[in-house]
Amino acid sequence: MFSRDLWGEIFHSIKSNKLRTFLTGFSVAWGIFILVILLASVKGMENGFIKQFGDDATNSIFIFPSTTKKPYGGFEAGRRIRLDNDDVTFIKGTFEDSYEYISPRFSNSVNASYGNETGNYSITGVTPDHLYIEKTEIYAGRYINQNDMANTLKVVVMGKVIAKELFKDEDPLGKQVILNGLAYRIIGLFSDDGNEREENKFYAPISTMQRVYGNTDQVDQLALTYNPEFTFAEAINFSDVLEIVMKRRKVIDPDDQGAIYVRNYAEGFARVTDFTTVLNLISIAVGFLVLIAGIVGIGNILIFIIKERTKEIGVRKALGAKPFDVIKLVLLESVFITTIAGFAGMIFAMGIITAISPFIDTEAFSNPSVDIVTVVTATVVLIVAGLIAGLVPAIKAAKVKPIEALRAD
Amino acid sequence: MIEIKDLHKSYRTGSTSLHVLKGINFSVKEGELVAIMGSSGSGKSTLLNILGMLDGYDEGSYHLDNVLIKDLNETKAANYRNKFLGFIFQSFNLINYKTAWENVSLPLYYQGVGRKERKERAIAYLDSVGLKPWVEHLPNELSGGQKQRVAIARAMAAEPKVLLADEPTGALDSVTSHEVMALIQKINDEGRTILVVTHEEDIAHMCKRIVHLKDGVIVSDEVVEQQRVEANV
Repeated sequence: MFSRDLWGEIFHSIKSNKLRTFLTGFSVAWGIFILVILLASVKGMENGFIKQFGDDATNSIFIFPSTTKKPYGGFEAGRRIRLDNDDVTFIKGTFEDSYEYISPRFSNSVNASYGNETGNYSITGVTPDHLYIEKTEIYAGRYINQNDMANTLKVVVMGKVIAKELFKDEDPLGKQVILNGLAYRIIGLFSDDGNEREENKFYAPISTMQRVYGNTDQVDQLALTYNPEFTFAEAINFSDVLEIVMKRRKVIDPDDQGAIYVRNYAEGFARVTDFTTVLNLISIAVGFLVLIAGIVGIGNILIFIIKERTKEIGVRKALGAKPFDVIKLVLLESVFITTIAGFAGMIFAMGIITAISPFIDTEAFSNPSVDIVTVVTATVVLIVAGLIAGLVPAIKAAKVKPIEALRAD
Repeated sequence: MIEIKDLHKSYRTGSTSLHVLKGINFSVKEGELVAIMGSSGSGKSTLLNILGMLDGYDEGSYHLDNVLIKDLNETKAANYRNKFLGFIFQSFNLINYKTAWENVSLPLYYQGVGRKERKERAIAYLDSVGLKPWVEHLPNELSGGQKQRVAIARAMAAEPKVLLADEPTGALDSVTSHEVMALIQKINDEGRTILVVTHEEDIAHMCKRIVHLKDGVIVSDEVVEQQRVEANV
């Protein structure tokens, strides 16, 4: 099948129709070029969206209390809903298999000082689980542990930005930092994925925070992650149930939309995924439509070439060429043109993407790229396209009757 | 070698039917050199096409080397053509972007012979028609006579049982015509069966037997004294 003679003939045919081959090949290259650019752009948008969620676990659920908007159970509207440590224990006990990590949050703003350097930052009391929910990256020392919690130790984990502002070039680990007049020992330093605001923060054991700020067991909000093995439907169902249960527990009208908020990241992700899936489909459709023009072009040129070569095909048949020999010749030529042209378009598109992608990193568009699946799909599409384009001309060629061809003097 | 019995062939064009061959009985033995003559419309081209398995027939029978040739599918016809027949055309029909030896080796290519052996055999045949120095030349670098000799070498390359020549000298001047006929005679002397379709009397008389066709029937079939051509190839 891949003999030198066969390729020789294909190359001859291409060589003797250089311009026509180039023009039709160009339409295929263009189709693939558009397809790849579109897919890469959608990928870029998708990356942009995901980056917005970036600093939190993608399976996060947040519960924020607010004030009731409807009177219920003998209470007037406008009642303040509060969450406390018992709610954490309750969720842990009730939804044992549904959650992965859970941590309450208790935040305050603090005046921090070290030596002559001072600054205003926020501090959040959390439990050790919070590390995984917020995707905090500890780059020195450690995070808050159970021992810190149990002994209400005055220890803090400090964000990268604060470390730079208060400690300059000094190593803060193990040093004391003064927060609102109380000394805390720095046990760890963290960074957070691409979010400076998050790095402008202290984390402390929630037990310590609750004792220092008001000797309370209240918390500001609950952060948890659902079981990562959950499907999208299961995840949504979990947060729905959680909302119903929490409303019942806090004596809130089930129809009161404002008293307590349960935010499930799964919903946002599903929306992004739906959106990008649709965009991907549109891109593929547009790419294919352009490609069809290329296929028709190649089919057209092949029919033309076969018409020109009718006599030659007739001679070949008289000399013993079987119909399949002729079909093979035409199909290989077609597949060859589409594949070479398509790869040229693909490489050109990928070159452009690689060249511009470092300069594009906005909130909505980041790191446009082509994955291997796209490349493989495009290759298969090209070969199939080549076969389709060559099919009609090949059958036409195989049907050439030697007598008629030879008569055409 | 060739055995034709009561052969009929009609062409249908729309509602009218044209009866071209009206019962041909004809046989050729091995080693014969037969000229088929007739004016245009006599059915000689149709007969040659049927002999060449390029066309089918309606009635009768055609045996080639004791094989019945009837209702062949395309692939089988291609196989038989390749194995049994060598074609020589009036307009040579060489493939213009292939060198002399590549043209000659084409039937071998379709037999699946490897490139190296093809080249050796093609060169041997080109040598036998006196074209060894032109092995690597393209057809447009050759004269008409040389082209026809390449075509003859090509027809012989697959060692067919029968050579079919359709007006082999029709496009050549008389000197080169004689050269080509000398070559055909030489090949015939070596024992090859050859059928030549021609409308030129002098060419026909260079064969050993002349068959006249008129209006779809054979009107005469006679053995003639062969007029030898002195070859200076």
